[in-house]
Amino acid sequence: MKALSALIGRNIKLFFKDKGLFFSALITPLILLVLYVTFLGNTYRSSFLSALPEGFTVADGLIDGLVGGQLISSLLAVCSVTVAFCSNLLMVQDKVTGARQDLTVTPVKRSVLALSYYIATAVSTLIIFLITACAGFLYLAKVGWYLSVTDILLIFADVFLLVLFGTALSSIINVFLTTQGQMSAVGTLVSAGYGFLCGAYMPISNFSDGLQKVLSFLPGTYGTSLLRNHAMRGVFTEMANSGFPEEVITGIRDSVDCNLYFFDRSVETGTMYGILFGAAVAAIAVYVLICKMKRT
Amino acid sequence: MKNVIEIQHLSKSFGDIKAVQDLSFHVRQGQLFAFLGINGAGKSTTISILCGQLPKDGGTVTIDGADLDRNIDVVKQNLGVVFQNSVLDKALSVRDNLKSRAALYGIVGKAFEDRLQELAALLDFSDLLKRTVGKLSGGQRRRIDIARALLHSPKILILDEPTTGLDPQTRKLLWDVVTQLRTENHMTVFLTTHYMEEAADADYVIILDSGKIAAEGTPLQLKNTYTGDFITLYDTNETQVRALGVPYETLHGDVYRLAIPDTRAATQLITAHPTLFTDYEIVKGKMDDVFLAVTGKSLVGGEQA
Repeated sequence: MKALSALIGRNIKLFFKDKGLFFSALITPLILLVLYVTFLGNTYRSSFLSALPEGFTVADGLIDGLVGGQLISSLLAVCSVTVAFCSNLLMVQDKVTGARQDLTVTPVKRSVLALSYYIATAVSTLIIFLITACAGFLYLAKVGWYLSVTDILLIFADVFLLVLFGTALSSIINVFLTTQGQMSAVGTLVSAGYGFLCGAYMPISNFSDGLQKVLSFLPGTYGTSLLRNHAMRGVFTEMANSGFPEEVITGIRDSVDCNLYFFDRSVETGTMYGILFGAAVAAIAVYVLICKMKRT
Repeated sequence: MKNVIEIQHLSKSFGDIKAVQDLSFHVRQGQLFAFLGINGAGKSTTISILCGQLPKDGGTVTIDGADLDRNIDVVKQNLGVVFQNSVLDKALSVRDNLKSRAALYGIVGKAFEDRLQELAALLDFSDLLKRTVGKLSGGQRRRIDIARALLHSPKILILDEPTTGLDPQTRKLLWDVVTQLRTENHMTVFLTTHYMEEAADADYVIILDSGKIAAEGTPLQLKNTYTGDFITLYDTNETQVRALGVPYETLHGDVYRLAIPDTRAATQLITAHPTLFTDYEIVKGKMDDVFLAVTGKSLVGGEQA
């Protein structure tokens, strides 16, 4: 335990003292937030309005809240992996600088070393995530606030699980990287691809049936859906209170992936939590196992 | 003194390249053991295997009675390593670096503070504790590297080219500390170096070439076996030196260096020409000459020449 806590402390300290690591991790979600608001906001808004049945009018604030909820949930879903990749750069950096040699020459077990990188990255990512979430909430407060305290707590719970999963995923990939060049290349690929795979850039409901079925096997998809559910629940309640028919609301929920289907079977939010948690635990186990088996 | 390192038939290949081939040697407790070879000779591979960082293909390694394959944690507890390049965290302070590393050996709290004070006094870095490692000079950083290697009071200190690029003052401090540790604690020092004058002070030397032992022995044994004596002759002229009929080289002006097979031959030469040998000195060959004779290669300032 002494070794584990010392290593976690070292890794977190290094992350926040290394301005390159810290700012690159912090700036990624903030840039994404600006890009989402600037480029995707209007697209989402038009898409909602065109999806409404003829004769329905929706208050601007409600639409803004809906668009804002979708933007924030997309942002947090993507960042769970991209920020974890940035934060996890230390693992590769230690190989580049030789510090890893200095750590492995001690009696500390490889599994402890692996776990220390994991926990430190998860903590650093969570801190960045909380900053991002707060920035997102400020945006929502400006455009249309429909969140309850429970929603906020559930969003934090979603974020926590996504960070556990994203950190484990980045750890499994990073463990094979030995240069910062490889790290940047993989980081770019993952951040570009993961947004589509988890349904953050485009709702999965827009994809073909076959692709939807394939994506339903990926745990990240359920993380995005959980965030969507909790970030947009208040808006849907308000819509219902305003007299929107149930089928219209269900249609909108389907179109933004609040309702996910595994081979035509609706997946409940409890099941989504189970899938995400199980995937995170499995990924951590795989990562620790790889580290134990690898000699260098 | 018992053998503190025993290596038997060690071998390691990287694809077609045989980095280490059937290497067998031992190191006695308290010895200053020098491991010489050009880059790629197999020194770093051997050290990496010794430290448990690289799996071996064959052979056995025993450190202070503990088998590397069966008791790697015990082996690691007995080893302190000063790497070729500083591997401490440059963004952290000296104290934070040493604190995080000490914890990996279970040294925390008061035990760490006490050890830190001892090492800071020994290596004279009390005033550097709050400084960021990345902002230290090369010599200062080296002192911290050594302190890090000594944190857990290891029985064996591995110094992998520890003085390359260091100023003379830090180099002297390093060797003074090493000598003190060997004298007071019977610490064994396993040294790789490109500086032959450092190898000349070793108790035992192994010269490695292409992954195999090319020569081994005490510096004196190696000098006697692989080089002759040299007479440096002053205040004469080249015609007289040439007339002696022995190989020579002009050092500068009227100073010449004669190569003689051994001390007996040198004595004979001097007594046969008493009028010529009025100002001279006889020296044994240097470790550079040994290295050149054994490997056909020379080491100059850390590079193969």
